[in-house]
Formats: sequence, structure tokens, C-alpha cells
Amino acid sequence: MTAGRFALRVIGFALFVAIVVYLPFRISDFRASEFALIGIYFIAILGLNVLTGYTGVISLGHGAFMALGAYTTAILVADHGMRDLWTIPLAGLLAAAAGAAFGLPALRLSGPYLALATFGIAVATPIVIKKFDGLTGGSGGINLFEAEGITGLPEFIVTLPGGKVLSFNDWLYYLTWTFALALFAIAWAIHHSRFGRSLRAIRDNEIAASASGIWLASHKTLAFSISAFYAGVAGSLLAISAFSVQPGAFPVDRSIALLVGLAVGGLGSLAPLAAGAAFLVFLPQWAQDISKAPGVPAVIYGAVLIALMILLPLGVGGLLRRIMGPLTSRLYPRS
Amino acid sequence: MRVLGVIALALAVSTGAASARPTADPGLNSSEIVIGGTVPLSGIAASYASVGRGAEAYFKYVNARGGVNGRKITYKYVDDQYNPAQTVQAVRQLVQQERVFAIFNSLGTEHNLSVRSFLNATKVPQLFVGSGATTFGRDYRRYPYTIGFLPSYIGEGKVYARHIVKTKPNAKIAVLVQNDDYGKDLLAGFKSGLGAKRKNLVAEQSYDALSTDVSSQIARLRSSRATVLLLITTPPFAIRGLVAANRLGWRPQVYVNQVGSATNIMRIVAATANPRIIEGAITLISVKDPLMPRFRSDKGMALYRTIMRQQLPRGDVNDGFHVYSMAVAYTFVEALKKAGRNPTRASLVRAVANLNLRSNPFLLPGVVVKTSSTDHFPLDQGQLQRWSKNQWNPLGKVVSAR
Amino acid sequence: MADVLQQVVSGIASGGVYALLALALVLIYRSTGVLNFAQGEMAMFSTFICWELLDRGVPYWGAFFLTLAISFVGGVLIERLVIHSVSRSQALTVVTVTIGLLILLNGAAAWIWKGEQRTLENPFPSDTFEVGGVVIAAQDLGIIGVSLAIVLVLWAFFQRTRVGLALRAAALNPESSRLHGVRVSRMLALGWGLAAVLGAVAGILVAPTQGSFDQNLMLPVLIFAFAAAVLGGLDSPIGAVVGGVVLGVVLNLVGAYIDFFADLRLPAALLLILGILLLRPNGLFGRSVVRRV
Repeated sequence: MTAGRFALRVIGFALFVAIVVYLPFRISDFRASEFALIGIYFIAILGLNVLTGYTGVISLGHGAFMALGAYTTAILVADHGMRDLWTIPLAGLLAAAAGAAFGLPALRLSGPYLALATFGIAVATPIVIKKFDGLTGGSGGINLFEAEGITGLPEFIVTLPGGKVLSFNDWLYYLTWTFALALFAIAWAIHHSRFGRSLRAIRDNEIAASASGIWLASHKTLAFSISAFYAGVAGSLLAISAFSVQPGAFPVDRSIALLVGLAVGGLGSLAPLAAGAAFLVFLPQWAQDISKAPGVPAVIYGAVLIALMILLPLGVGGLLRRIMGPLTSRLYPRS
Repeated sequence: MRVLGVIALALAVSTGAASARPTADPGLNSSEIVIGGTVPLSGIAASYASVGRGAEAYFKYVNARGGVNGRKITYKYVDDQYNPAQTVQAVRQLVQQERVFAIFNSLGTEHNLSVRSFLNATKVPQLFVGSGATTFGRDYRRYPYTIGFLPSYIGEGKVYARHIVKTKPNAKIAVLVQNDDYGKDLLAGFKSGLGAKRKNLVAEQSYDALSTDVSSQIARLRSSRATVLLLITTPPFAIRGLVAANRLGWRPQVYVNQVGSATNIMRIVAATANPRIIEGAITLISVKDPLMPRFRSDKGMALYRTIMRQQLPRGDVNDGFHVYSMAVAYTFVEALKKAGRNPTRASLVRAVANLNLRSNPFLLPGVVVKTSSTDHFPLDQGQLQRWSKNQWNPLGKVVSAR
Repeated sequence: MADVLQQVVSGIASGGVYALLALALVLIYRSTGVLNFAQGEMAMFSTFICWELLDRGVPYWGAFFLTLAISFVGGVLIERLVIHSVSRSQALTVVTVTIGLLILLNGAAAWIWKGEQRTLENPFPSDTFEVGGVVIAAQDLGIIGVSLAIVLVLWAFFQRTRVGLALRAAALNPESSRLHGVRVSRMLALGWGLAAVLGAVAGILVAPTQGSFDQNLMLPVLIFAFAAAVLGGLDSPIGAVVGGVVLGVVLNLVGAYIDFFADLRLPAALLLILGILLLRPNGLFGRSVVRRV
């Protein structure tokens, strides 16, 4: 890409970073924990985008990779006294390995069969976790609250020069968003790399891609692996922020939610996926605020989701592209 | 980022003194006390939503009569969709944003476990947990701000075991158990209560809450030639288990755990399968059941029906969870009265650990709510009931369920 | 031996339940190419409609067929109002819409019928027969019988009628079909309507087997139905039935006789299906699609 466009991108990213850093100073303490959760979902959805957005594979099972990451962190911190921060990349790597292990045989399956195979994994995950209760603590899960390796605790309060008090929720926020921004930059790099272009070629036309020399097996498996890595990191952060893991925290709903977040954010986009993450965190609450009568929040949520997909089939990212398209083409008449 | 953590910790140590908080507890002012909790209002466990609604109705009734010491009780219960990760988020919101005085009546074993450490560390009372898991009463020294309500599952299991040992000391026993901590707890209590007769338990089958039927498990249990069947199941699986047993022509002596034995559930079994499958079935209950005819002219149930009519007219009067939650709400109100004119979180916790209530209108006559410094199980009694002629009838006296 | 046979028999019985919903999934996939995650909830909603009619005094068979008619209309409406607008979008958008529909229908049922346990009449007699120590219920035979009948009807419909042919054509190649005079959008609406009818049959027959039901009736069944459909081949009605039966029997035998898997029934079955898919990537009876460049 041209130097001009690259510079624009860097400025955009810097702005994004600035907003992220500054936000906790403008929002309440509790809201910071909600935005931390948005950061976590953002990471998972970024990963899912590498798989679905670039290779077209629909996965309904990424909650399982999140669970793997979460339990990796929990077991390492609670049973092996490891510091929680170090477990985060480890959780990602373990999930990545699982992603590769699943990705390879999954190559044999096409579209709906693969999607349903991943669905099966998501369904099986809580049951398998409960079975191996010696390792996972069974239904009750693992409690991290009193573990030595936990860095941030609720009593943790820091007063900055200038008067702002940083609380535990702010710590969580900065922790998750540091990872989110780093992984976002990596996702951006992937998008613009040769690897990313090959992936998109696979999505658009598998046969043509294969004919032009792209080795489908390695690319698809790597895409699976990368997306699982992201999900594993997200799961690990979830365990740290909740101080606990349980099998009940990873029902099928979680995998489905990731897919919903991806669709709302916009397949193939990057930054707009944060909007998808925000949707996942805020809409259920907003629906409950409107009414607590049985079933009504679900009706609201479902209706809003359907309406969004009808109006914005390509998500928020698609909308932004439609708006920005005419604008940027005016700035760069030759592209 | 590790560096950030270290710097932050260093600053925290040096500025720790500056973080002294004001002494008044949040969620309390002269006219109102705000409490919160989590209940599954949607999703697979949505049938337990009445646990929140019944308590809310009772508080509205109390508020209409002036509240407690001039304060109205505002009970904010939030949907956690029966997902412990959501419970964590919701409780954080209740404590940090809604600034509730206490967490009350939250449902679910793993759900309450997931927030117990947090609540105790931040000294927020976690009252009358909606779970019979023994840890909530047994581990009070470590978690003094947490207390349960129901008799422990282990205690309940022991009661069934003792009754079987007394009445059918040589019978072979089969158990259908739900595959999670609640099931394991009750089963452990049952096995422990069998004592020397432990080998009479000849077959055990478990099921996952996502199953659609348990006919395979029941078939396996039947093939063990057991003559006693214990169901450690939630209501839908109590129904399916009994329907399956009936279909196979198996007529064991049935024991059903409290969670799954409400009268309306039993009547569904009688209607769908055959009344004879549950004739003579036995359960342990502590809370009055709205469909028990002997309580038709009972004052407590009259009060229940009045409150339902006035405060929750669209609710199902026959849903026993409404009665349970009113029993819990009643206990909370009494504890709040004991906590003083200007209660603090600490005084409320002290009051809750020193209860002696003999006239909770929603509990079986003879069942008392009693806690002390060594007893953190508010309810540890129940009465066995035998099913006969389409209703539960008392079997023996109120017994200990510890 | 009788015990093993009993497990097999009850596996076939539960398999019939999965097959009924799987048939609706297969129909919708075959006629519109969509994986309808809301199929179970649509079936559940139809079941509640039937209950409502019965509650108001409509005789059983009247309520049954009226529910089928209402469900047909409902399916068509959903396709026209919701699916049609996104049918040209990417697969992810369509899947997300069906997920939204799932959530909405579940909530609507909870709202309208308040989440209380309801019971539905059983159209089959409640007799049981005992053959060689194995108990077989008339209800289970009835469900399997209905599933097989539906397979036959679908086969005749797809293979022997013009409408069926048009439906298949519209799903496989909309552009070509249009050129041949097929009203593609009408076919899609028809496909959804018919699938809704099948779903309603599934719901009405399954509800009595569960004793009582509420808005969560179909959620676990959907999982098994998808597994059955995938195992049998997503475009094969007979595959849905065979898949359902195999799934039911395997679940029972594995759970009852292999101790390690007693708590892992569903994962074990899913693993098995995954294994079979690796050998036959389109399911047992599915047809592999040859892609032309």
C-alpha cells in the first residue's frame, strides 16, 4: 500500500490507542469492568474473523477454545502457583495446538458439516470438563481468588498524581485492552500479509486458489490455529477477571455468541469488530432494563439481532465501508 | 506490562492509607435498603425464575405495611442465565454499580461459589444462598459473610438412607443422579447414611442436564433387580425417570429428592404414566407445598395466596418455588429487624448467624430456622412425606437433616 | 442379553425422536440450503399452539391438523419477512438470522405461556408389549412409523412430483431454475412452510414422550437432531432416520456398558460421528457435491 495510506492507518491506530488509554478516566469504575469484558470478546471475535472472515469456515465451537485457555490459566495458577500473566500466552499456545489438531482432520469436511462438527465440540465441552474433575475441579470449577499468582485483586487501589483513583476494574481493563490492541495489530498485519491474501483467495474461490499454488491444507489449518490462539487468550483473560472457571461458564451459547458478535461487527473488518463485542455485552442488559417480564428481554434481543442483520447484512464494518468508500475514493482518485 | 503490575503494586503499598473508605455501608439510607441477587430468568433453567419473583412479592407486601424500621426493601434480582460467568459479572454490577447492601437469594451452587470469595473479601453479605451444597454451611469460618438456607444435600441424602435402612434393610437400591455437584453431594450423603448397608446400593446411573431422556439409565437400573429407586434429579428428569420406569413395568419403592418432588410435578407423572408408579413414593420436604390439601385452611398458606393475589397476580400459585422464596424473604426480614435500627453489613451478618425463628409461615409446622456460632445451616430439618391418593401425606415426625 | 436388547430398543425409540426433528432440518437444508438453527424453536412454538387449541376444547385431530396449517403459514411468513431479505447475503448473516429467530421464539413462548409446565395428549395408545423380556411401547413404534412414513412421502415428493423437482432445482441452482420458469422465491417459501409443518409434527409427537414440556422442550433435541442429520447426510431424509436410530442406540450402549463413557455419552457419540464423517465427509447417505469451475 502507498505510504500515504499506511500513515493514515497508523494515525488511526494511534487514535484508537489513545481512546482506549483515556477512557477509564471518563467512565465509572464499574463500566471499566464492562469494557474489559468487551476487550475480551473483541479478542475472541478478532480470532474468529481470521477463520471465518478469511477462509469462510463457520465455526460454532470457539467457546471450546476459550474454555481451554481459561482452564489452562486456572490450573497453572491454582495448582502450579504460576503468575497469571505468564499463563496468558501459554493458554493461547495450547489452544492454538488444539486448533491445529482439530483443523487438520476438519479439512475433509465442507461447509455445513464442518460447522456442525464444531457445534458438536461446543456442546461436548462442558460435559468433558465435568468428567475429568480431578484436573478441572468438576462442576464446582477452580477458584483463583486466593491463589498466589493472581496479580490484581479487589482491594487493589492506586491513586495517580492528579487525583484519579485506579481500581481493580481499571487494572482488568488495561490488562485486557493491552492484549486486545497488540492482537489487533497482529490481525491487521495478517490481513495485509501474503498469508492473509492467500486466505481470502481461499474464501473467494477454493479451486482457483488451489490451482494458483496455495496449499489449502496448511493455510486452513494455520487459520484454525491462529483463531484458536486468540480464543485461548480471551478465555485466559476471562478466568483472570472472574477469579474462577466453571464448566457452566462455557455452554454452547458462548460459541454462538462469538459468531453473533462477528456477524454484527462485520465479517472481514477489524476495528468494527469491537462494535460486535460491545453488542454482546450491552444489548442483553439493555433488553433487561426495558422489561424483566419472562421472555421479553429475549424477544427484544432476538428482534434487534434479526433487524440488524437485515439492515446491515455485512455488519457495522460493512456499514462503515459503505460510508467511507465514497469518502476515501475522493481522497485517492486513482485507487 | 509486568512492569506496570510491579509499579502499581508498589504505589498501592505506599498509598494504601489514602484509600480509607467512608464508614456507612452502601445500599442503606433512612428510607430504603437495597439488596440484590442473581436468578436464572431465561435459558435452560428459567423455570426457577419464581425464586426471585416470590421473594420480591413478599418484600412488596412488607413494604406496604411500612417496611422494616421505616425502610422499604428494594430487591434487585438480575438474570444470570444460569451461567456462573454471568453471575460474576452481575454480582460485580450489583455491588459496584447498584451499590447493594447485601447479595440475597441467588440461585445455583456453582454460581454462588463463583462469587463467594469476592463477596467475602469485600465484606458484602451473601445471604440465604439458593443451594443445599454443604460447603455453604460448613465453611463459614473461612467465609463468614456467606450463609445458605436449605438443609444440606448431604443431610437430605442421609435421611433417605436412614429410612431405607430402617424400613427395608435388605433391599437392593438403585440411584439415578444428575451429573453435577448437587447430585454428587446428595449421593455422598446417601452413601454415608447407609453406613454398614452400603453394599445394598447395587446400581448408580447418571445423566447430563442436556439429555432428552433417561430411559437407557432406567433400563440399566432395572436390570440390577433393585427394589428401591432413589431419584436425585431436577423436576423434568424426575418426570422422565418415572415415566421410563413405568413403561418398563418396574415398580420399585421410589424416593424423590426435594428439588424434584413438588406436588404439581408428581401429578404430571400420575397423569402421563400411571398413578401406581408413584403410589407410596417418599420425599423429604421443609417448605409448604401450595397443592397440599391439608394446608388449605392454613394461615401461612392463606397469607401466601393473599400475597400472590395482591403482588404477583400473573404468577402461578401452584409453583412451590414461590413459597420457598417467600420463606427465605421472611427470614431475611426477621434478620433485618434483629440487625438493629441502623443496621450495618456486619450487624446483619451477626443477626443472620443468631436466628431462632419458630413461626416462619411458609415452612412446615415444626421446622425452625436456627443458626448459631457453630451452626450455619438455617434449615436442618424436614419431614418425610408419602405419596398417596394424589397428594403428599406426612410420614412420621419432623426429623433432623444434618 | 435381554438387557442389551432393551437398551437397543430404547435407543431406537429415542432415535425416532431425533429423526423427526432431523427430517425437518434435512428438508429445509435440501430445499433452501440453509442450516436452520431455529427449527427446534419453531417446532416448540407449534407444539404450544397445539396445546392452546386443545386447551380451548378443540378435539385432538382437529387441533393437530389446524396446527400444521398454522405452522405452514408461519414458516412461509418467516421466510418471506425475515429470511428472504438476507438470502442473498453471506452464509454467516443467514446463520445469525436463524440464531436471532431461535432466541426470539424461545422468549416469545416464555412470555406467552409463562414458562409453566404443560402436558400434551398422546396420539398413540400407551400400551406396552413384552417380547422376550424386552419391553416395547406402542408410542415408540408409532414415532418410528411416522418417521418412516415421512421419509416415504418426502421421497415421493422430491422424486416424483413437479413441485418437488422445482424445489430441488431452486435450491441447487437458482439462476438456472429461473431461466427454466421456476418461481424460485415461491419455492423457498414453500420449503420453509413444509419444514415448519414437519417441525410441528416432531414437536407434537415428542412432547408427550417427555411427560411435560415448556419452552425449552426442543433445545436438547435440536442438538441430537443436528447430530443425526449430519451423520445421515444433510440432504438425505432416510439418512436422518438412520442417523437418528444409530445415534440413539450408540448413546445407550456406550453409556450403559462402557463405564468410562457413562458420564460422556454425548461426547462419545459426537466423536463417533466425527470419525464417520472423516470416512464419509457427506454423512452416511449424503451425496457429495462435485464442484465445477
